[in-house]
Amino acid sequence: MRISESNNGAIIHIRNIAKLYKMGTEIVHALRDVSLDIFPNEYLAIMGPSGSGKSTLMNILGCLDTPTTGIYNFKGDDVNEMTDNDLAKIRNKEIGFVFQTFNLLARATSLKNVELPLVYSGVSSSDRRERAEQTLKDVGLGDRITHKPNELSGGQRQRVAIARALVTSPSIILADEPTGNLDTKTGEDIMKLFKDLWKKGNTIILVTHEEDIARHAQRIIRLRDGLVEHDGVNPNQLLV
Amino acid sequence: MIKISEITEVGRQVLESLFSNPLRSFLSSLGVIIGISFVITMGWLLDGMNNVLEDTINLIGEDMIYIEKFSWTGGHQWKLYEQRKDITYDQAMEFCRRIKVAQIAMPITRKGGAKLKYQSNTYNGFLTNGTKSEYGLTPAATMLDGRFFLPIEDLSSARVVVLAYNAYKTIFGETEAVGKTIKIQGYDFRIVGVIKKRGTAMMDFVDNQIFIPISVFNKMFDNSHRSFSIAIKAGNPKEMDEVREEAQGLMRIIRNIPPGKEDDFSLNETKTLESSIETFRLYVGGIGIGFTVLSFIVGIIGIVNIMFVSVTERTKEIGIRKAIGAKKISILLQFIIESTALCLVGAIVSYIVCSILFFVVASTLPGLVPSLGFLSKFIPVSFFFIASGLSIFVGIIAGFIPALRAANLDPVDALRYD
Repeated sequence: MRISESNNGAIIHIRNIAKLYKMGTEIVHALRDVSLDIFPNEYLAIMGPSGSGKSTLMNILGCLDTPTTGIYNFKGDDVNEMTDNDLAKIRNKEIGFVFQTFNLLARATSLKNVELPLVYSGVSSSDRRERAEQTLKDVGLGDRITHKPNELSGGQRQRVAIARALVTSPSIILADEPTGNLDTKTGEDIMKLFKDLWKKGNTIILVTHEEDIARHAQRIIRLRDGLVEHDGVNPNQLLV
Repeated sequence: MIKISEITEVGRQVLESLFSNPLRSFLSSLGVIIGISFVITMGWLLDGMNNVLEDTINLIGEDMIYIEKFSWTGGHQWKLYEQRKDITYDQAMEFCRRIKVAQIAMPITRKGGAKLKYQSNTYNGFLTNGTKSEYGLTPAATMLDGRFFLPIEDLSSARVVVLAYNAYKTIFGETEAVGKTIKIQGYDFRIVGVIKKRGTAMMDFVDNQIFIPISVFNKMFDNSHRSFSIAIKAGNPKEMDEVREEAQGLMRIIRNIPPGKEDDFSLNETKTLESSIETFRLYVGGIGIGFTVLSFIVGIIGIVNIMFVSVTERTKEIGIRKAIGAKKISILLQFIIESTALCLVGAIVSYIVCSILFFVVASTLPGLVPSLGFLSKFIPVSFFFIASGLSIFVGIIAGFIPALRAANLDPVDALRYD
């Protein structure tokens, strides 16, 4: 269903979404009432302590999960109306995930890991290889394409994961604590890479609880108890 | 829908995962390997039996009918046949005179263990047949050397003998036999001919015979407790019905059987043999199928189990794949292809192992047990395709439920799994 007129050009348009979980007999309100719009080429950090609902929000934004109530339009399409296959398609084409634990396939080389999203979108094997190779070069791993994850350092693994997220040229890159498993120096390198990607026009959503990481973003949303506590421009954005 | 790029990719991944842990793959497909091996073994045995049947039919002749006291196939009714009156020489001769539609008919009588002597060596493993010269007109008496005995030799009770191939080979080896004289039960007989080798493998015994005129046979051996056989050659398999009908009617007249009473003789032909082999084949097939089904059930359980383990182990991987855009059908297919590949590899292993095993068995065992000579050294290639097809079927069945579980995993939960 197209409702683009209400989107004002936003990629993501969310109004009053809530997410309830049943834990035995108890009902948990992971998200109570969240509304936000995310526009092209924004660099956004979602912050909050654990239990604030940021993971739930990230899962919903990433179309891994759907809200219990409320409106979620992705590029004008109503996510609540989508089938599992439609959601898979959105995840494949529109969203690039970067996880804290990298989540690479251990048995596959860097190249195969980066090719994987293209496999699911039906790109021919020669195109796949070409695009994956180029993307790995773009993240500075042109010389590591035949290595398997266990032959790479943490920073290199995260770069492979970022290449995998980028290879389909998605509308949004969704990074969940991307530096959580890295030392400070490597973490800074990864954040620099995100900044470069942002400057090239990508839209980036960071989910983090670290102020140091969040200050790279242009806009910060703070969640608490399933509600948006603060949503505004980051006046102290690091532009290095 | 599912894309070609995905299927080839899945195939590659599946092979990778199978060979990353070959021992586990082997153990989990063991049940299927055993099941497929049963199918191949059964097919191999039945195939061998078909060859025997064919050999037997060729040997006896499709257009031959033997009237005898005993039935070839009714072993379980032996007592009943035993009580029948013997077919006497006179009855057999009367029959042969009166039968009209048949091409040839002749009496045959046999005695085992007659004592043969050539030079200083004695032999007693051969079956002595007494028959008429007409026997020489049947395909069973195709000569290697010399001739069958003549009507005049039969009428004049001439002491002449025709050797079947093994008898010739045993006594004379490679040397000339025709024209030589051997002793049978102490009497001198002149060898007039040698019959070509007929038996193959298991039917070898047909070559362990000698033939003398029935007139001589009757004088040499006590016939008071001997039942004669009548061999009838219809001349053409198409006329079998007619010949059978006349033979039965005529024999009932000769044996004075009143209407309404059962025959007290048996009409034996290859057809009855075929049907009894068919029964035997059904037994073998039935037992084989029983075992096969059983081992396939065990095999399927093994595969289902290992696939559940595999799905659980790879929950995180499934989550990752879903997060980057794998649809349910892709995940479903991945696991079904994996279980199918597991079974298919099992089938290939079975086929190779059985091929080697059967080749060795069929090459060595008949040397020790001649009656196993019907075993074929090679498994028909068609069985490879049957085994493969079956394993694919089993793989799909066994993989479906674990694959469905994998496909239905919630991506958020799967990603969180450690």
